[in-house]
Amino acid sequence: MQPIIGLIMFLFLMLPPVANLLESIMIFHMHMQMPLIAISGFLMAPFFMEKFPKFFAKWNERGIPGIILFTLVMTYWSIPRAMDDALTMYSVELFKFISLAFLAGVPLRASWMKLTDFWKNAVFVFFTLQYGLMGLIYLMSDSQLCNNYLQSEQITLGWGFLTVAIALLIYLIQLVIIDPSDYE
Amino acid sequence: MALAQKIQEKTQKALGAHPADAKISKSYFSISFIALLVGGVLGLLQGLNRAGLLELPTWLNYYQVLTGHGLFLVLVFTSFFVVGYFYAALSHNLGGLQPKVRKMVWSAFWLKIMGAVTAVIPIIQGEASVMYTFYPPMAASPVFYIGLVLFVVGIWMAAFGAFIQVANWRKANKGQHLPILSYFATGVFVLLLFSSLFVAIEVFMILPWSLGWVDTINVMLSRTLFWAFGHTLVNIWYLTAVSAWYTIIPKVLGTRRFSDTLTRVVVMLLVILNIPGGFHHQIVDPGITESVKYLHVFMSLAIGFPSLMTAFAMFSIFERSGREKGAKGLFGFFKKLPWGDVRFLAPMIAMIAFIPAGAGGIVQTTNQLNQVVHNSLWVVGHFHLTLGMTVALTFFGVSYWLVPYVSGRVLTKRMNKLGVIQTWIWTIGMTLMSVAMHLVGLLGSPRRTSYSNYFGNETALGWDPYLIFLAVGGTLLIIAVVLQVYNMFHLMFRAPKGDSEFMVEPEAVGGNKTPFWTERWSRIIVLMLIVIAMGYVIPLTDFIFNAPPGSPPFKTW
Repeated sequence: MQPIIGLIMFLFLMLPPVANLLESIMIFHMHMQMPLIAISGFLMAPFFMEKFPKFFAKWNERGIPGIILFTLVMTYWSIPRAMDDALTMYSVELFKFISLAFLAGVPLRASWMKLTDFWKNAVFVFFTLQYGLMGLIYLMSDSQLCNNYLQSEQITLGWGFLTVAIALLIYLIQLVIIDPSDYE
Repeated sequence: MALAQKIQEKTQKALGAHPADAKISKSYFSISFIALLVGGVLGLLQGLNRAGLLELPTWLNYYQVLTGHGLFLVLVFTSFFVVGYFYAALSHNLGGLQPKVRKMVWSAFWLKIMGAVTAVIPIIQGEASVMYTFYPPMAASPVFYIGLVLFVVGIWMAAFGAFIQVANWRKANKGQHLPILSYFATGVFVLLLFSSLFVAIEVFMILPWSLGWVDTINVMLSRTLFWAFGHTLVNIWYLTAVSAWYTIIPKVLGTRRFSDTLTRVVVMLLVILNIPGGFHHQIVDPGITESVKYLHVFMSLAIGFPSLMTAFAMFSIFERSGREKGAKGLFGFFKKLPWGDVRFLAPMIAMIAFIPAGAGGIVQTTNQLNQVVHNSLWVVGHFHLTLGMTVALTFFGVSYWLVPYVSGRVLTKRMNKLGVIQTWIWTIGMTLMSVAMHLVGLLGSPRRTSYSNYFGNETALGWDPYLIFLAVGGTLLIIAVVLQVYNMFHLMFRAPKGDSEFMVEPEAVGGNKTPFWTERWSRIIVLMLIVIAMGYVIPLTDFIFNAPPGSPPFKTW
């Protein structure tokens, strides 16, 4: 059921009006369309994991290669230039859909349960730092970083990055200060 | 641990409510119902004025009455009831309140009273006719806002008291699920805390502006902060009402609860999705692009999903209870429901009312339809159906057993009958009033406007018959209010002494183990914060970075 929902979601996001609406605003493009594509891949993952169990066992034994691939792809798509390319060239737009669904969403699902707590927390720490840093860059840049979006949209995106980083930071802080064994 | 808990439960059953905790709930309920009486009288004055039947004196004009009506019913009646109700649950479920928590909830009590009184003084003086939404550019006297600050601090005290109580119980009962009504209480207090942060920021923007320390204020920003709080507050009452439907109704019906996991997921979803829903109150505001409004409609309607889950669960409970009592046929179970029991009747009518009320809410959330009804009496009709029927009747239904429980008294047959009569009068009154308001709103009658026939304009004269219905409804309602307040104080001080049961059904159907992730509140809160960021980053950045010059304070009255 989940892979079918994922596929429908993936195709829905590809529909030109849907893609146009989500790409018309900078923050929707990066913080809504891209994560949704990755989520559609995440939902489709069980299909691939059942079809090619050997492949995942061989190449993603402890989940580390998968999570590194996920991190690389997600980081690549947080670069302003990458968004410009996707809007200008159809081949890059196609690559965006394929990479986020199948090289980010699928490996995330295939890796997460295999990871140790150390690696899981490392991923959170990495994204907290990355989002915080990207947020500051987008907020403080004096020039327009994307050809396709105005500077005011850039500031909005910067705050988007920063608020997600703050939420992740709160998550990390509660991991440190709240000991679940007190309650569970 | 299990044995210790059993002993505790047995003693609790034998002794009833802890006297110190019962006093807390009784005090909160007393203030709540006094506010209902005062707010109800002010409501009647408004209704009669709107129908053109009563001219209000200049020293107590329509706008003062409206502000007072809102403050007493929207802030005082509801928030005092919610705290009294959930603290009774926390005390009952979690082995009595801790001494520290008791002190906190008493300070909350006095802070809220001081806050309400401080806010009422400038209203009476005619210095704060800003109506209960209090957003700029209309500016009240600074005293009004100081009162609101005290009120909000009181709410925070009550919320933190609840968190301490819950955290300590969980430490002492490792690995156990929070009892269901306390779970609802936690959700409600989380929402109260986070939504009131927005209004606190707003009030701290308004205060220096109304004192004249700063010249202008960002109107769109303060409106947005207001509705992040305002809409959530509405949903806090709703979540409180929902808590009674899920946990108390099955007990009254003598059956088990619906799935425990589903109930907890509904609470989680309402906590996570709620706050950005406030945006649909601003759907005709300028300064927000169409695409953002479109995406916000989605965020608002997301709250409808847990509501539909609730509707499903409720019908399932009714059907099971009816069939257990031998009901036949597809709808036979309706006849087996205890229609003569006020503890069932009032919340049941409340739930039925939520069907049209929820549909009306969806109308208002939809951009195009909102243009038709915005700022008309339709909106007033809508929230009298939601707050006045769905929430208030559920609160009344609960109070008919909870007030005797905390007072060590019993609900007699006579009082039950009086309660049933009160419920029906209220229902007829509120139905007449809110239907009239919806219809006359569609014909264009504005909200928040003193009576005027607009120089005998034909359209405005066409509203009059509806407005008469509004006044008739309002008159019936005041009878129901007086009855309700009488019933409550009778049950508190005069009813025969005896032991009442705390009407919460602990057992759920299915018997499946509820997964423990439902208890991980820090995760729920982080998800909630991310959803808030999704909802508010775009518009707030826009309002702040592309801000117009700002507005000086206006006194329009």
